[in-house]
Amino acid sequence: MTKETTYAIVVEKLTKRYGELLAVNDISFTVGKGEVFALLGPNGAGKTTSVEIIDTIRAPTSGKVTLLGMDVTKRKYDIVRRIGVLPQGFSSFDRITVRETLQFYLRLFCCMNTDIDALIELVNLKDKTKEQYKNLSGGLRQRLGIAIALVNDPEVVFLDEPTTGLDPRARREVWEVLLGLKEKGKTVFLTTHYMEEAELLADTVAIISKGEIIAMGSPGELIENNTKYLDLTLQSVDEKAFEVVRKMGFDPLLDNHRDIKVRVEHTDDVQKILSAIKDAGALYLGLDVRKPNLEEVFLKLTGEALHDGYVEEKGAE
Amino acid sequence: MNPRVVGANLFVKLMSVYREKTAMFFTLAFPIILILVFGTIFMSQDNVAFHLCVQDLDRTDSSTQSIKTLESSGKFKITRVDPAINAIQYVRDNKVNLVLVIPKGFERALLQRIVLGDADASVTITYIYDPSSSSVSTKMQILDAVFAGINQQMSGKPPVIRSVEKSILTKKYRFIEYFIPGIIAMAVMTLSLFGTVNLNTELRQKGIIRKLSTTPITRTEWILSDILYQFILAVISTIAMLLVSYAVFNVKLHLDAWLPAFILLDVFAFVGIGMILTRFVKEAQSAAAAANAISFPIMFLSGSFFPIELMPGFLQKFAKTLPLFYVNEGLRASMIFEDNMAALRYSSVIGVFAAVVFVLGIMATKWEEG
Ligand SMILES: Nc1ncnc2c1ncn2[C@@H]1O[C@H](COP(=O)(O)OP(=O)(O)OP(=O)(O)O)[C@@H](O)[C@H]1O
Ligand SMILES: [Mg+2]
Repeated sequence: MTKETTYAIVVEKLTKRYGELLAVNDISFTVGKGEVFALLGPNGAGKTTSVEIIDTIRAPTSGKVTLLGMDVTKRKYDIVRRIGVLPQGFSSFDRITVRETLQFYLRLFCCMNTDIDALIELVNLKDKTKEQYKNLSGGLRQRLGIAIALVNDPEVVFLDEPTTGLDPRARREVWEVLLGLKEKGKTVFLTTHYMEEAELLADTVAIISKGEIIAMGSPGELIENNTKYLDLTLQSVDEKAFEVVRKMGFDPLLDNHRDIKVRVEHTDDVQKILSAIKDAGALYLGLDVRKPNLEEVFLKLTGEALHDGYVEEKGAE
Repeated sequence: MNPRVVGANLFVKLMSVYREKTAMFFTLAFPIILILVFGTIFMSQDNVAFHLCVQDLDRTDSSTQSIKTLESSGKFKITRVDPAINAIQYVRDNKVNLVLVIPKGFERALLQRIVLGDADASVTITYIYDPSSSSVSTKMQILDAVFAGINQQMSGKPPVIRSVEKSILTKKYRFIEYFIPGIIAMAVMTLSLFGTVNLNTELRQKGIIRKLSTTPITRTEWILSDILYQFILAVISTIAMLLVSYAVFNVKLHLDAWLPAFILLDVFAFVGIGMILTRFVKEAQSAAAAANAISFPIMFLSGSFFPIELMPGFLQKFAKTLPLFYVNEGLRASMIFEDNMAALRYSSVIGVFAAVVFVLGIMATKWEEG
């Protein structure tokens, strides 16, 4: 098979400068057809710059991007008919209704006969078809944006931060729509700074930081390759338990004067700690063992948190 | 170029403005208010009859006859002031700007001169006036002219130089009729320029322009739909202005195909300028400020409100470089003077300008981000 038939997107040595600022620094990767690919990174990492070069909104400084077998800088007009794009922070005409908006975008792609009703059904906007855009909530607006990106039945869909700024419930509703796309076998290129989103939706995750891709693989692979530990939390312990764990050679942390947090290498260690506490006659009321997630992978690779709001938002959900 | 794409754009724009009725109302109301205000001011200038106070201290047949002569000239509406009153006090108290005082002995002096041939006999009429009033000097000039005529007649010799009025127009036009074509040209300019600038900066800020760049719409389709949209608004606005002008001021204007032709050229020119502006001025606020900075001088200097002949020479030369001047003059040529050759001349100048600006506007429009 040739490159063109296997890959939807081929990015080779892509670089973008804004004057002095190096926003994207020599990145290369491929996205297979039918794959859901997530570019995960914090604010200012270069996600939008990368995705907008690939979906023909911006011009690269150097490097080559092949989309559906075509060079993005040379065949924009042919490419745009076959892709769907939801730009970051997209909004639409305030006074135009949901149905009219979809009809408008459909007409721009002349001679397509997409079933608007099916599309409305897909993004779950059935009872909002006569609502003007300005009266839609954030979640509904994003879902309309996704529907707009799908009017031309595209082969590749680009979604730049589709859930940023949405509350947890609205975010989950958008995820449902995206899972539906995945099921239909669409190639989806997604950017996000929510690791749950990448973990839930993506086949492949590329972690981008300061314009460079620092790790890439399936969410499982990334966690497997970069973190070899478990986080054990013992709740409502007494002082004796803390001493026991410390004496075993681990490095426990006392949280709130009541909980012990300890990082261990193997599942066996968990077993050892629990029996040692039992033997010493110490007490604990609860226990939690957690595998690390992409957030920790990111922290390990860059020494920075993925995004500031992470801890609070997790708590809110 | 795909008509369906242009139509889809047009539909969205028309729906948006139709559903935003207050904005639409004020857009249409502005030039109408101008017409009502200026029209009312000009109306009093069209049938000038100055108010004149006369105090007749002579109270003879001759003095009464003279006052009647003044009145019958049609230039004055006369109020008689009681001879017992102090005229200066009267001017102050009644806020009139001029009292004409016919002195005692008026008739006697006339008789001495005409009947007895006494060459030294003369009479002095006093103007008691308030110099702070702006129209008083015009009034006194007219009075002087009237008295000069009487003097000349009484001397019994035919005048050496005569003058005859011959208008270049077959019919006389009123100020308001001169004014309306200028207001139409100006209103269409502001509609197109501000409409284009506001719409494009708004769409850019909403990210809609970026989104459109990932659809097959072309720049030509985009600009053409804007021009069509602005043309429809301009036609609606012009119809509203004309309706008010006919209903309120009973104007007589000649309407033919030149009117929509000049409106279309006006729209092309200023949509093009708006497109060029939005390319270079990215922020919505500065774009509106730039549009203001361009439209204000054009509005005042291109003869929309008053004839450019009233301006100093170098400004007149400058006015002739402004695109709106040619729309103003072209519309006047067709609507007032019914001069097709002149309209053709003006339309070709603005036509060339519009074509150049339109092409530049297409070139300046850029979907892609930097
Ligand atoms: N048009 C531009 N001109 C100059 N600098 C830019 C431009 N667009 C982006 N940048 C800079 O390039 C860097 C990468 O920006 P980019 O928008 O690609 O990041 P991002 O990962 O999408 O961030 P976010 O999560 O905030 O959307 C940032 O430092 C940004 O300030
Ligand atoms: Mg971004």
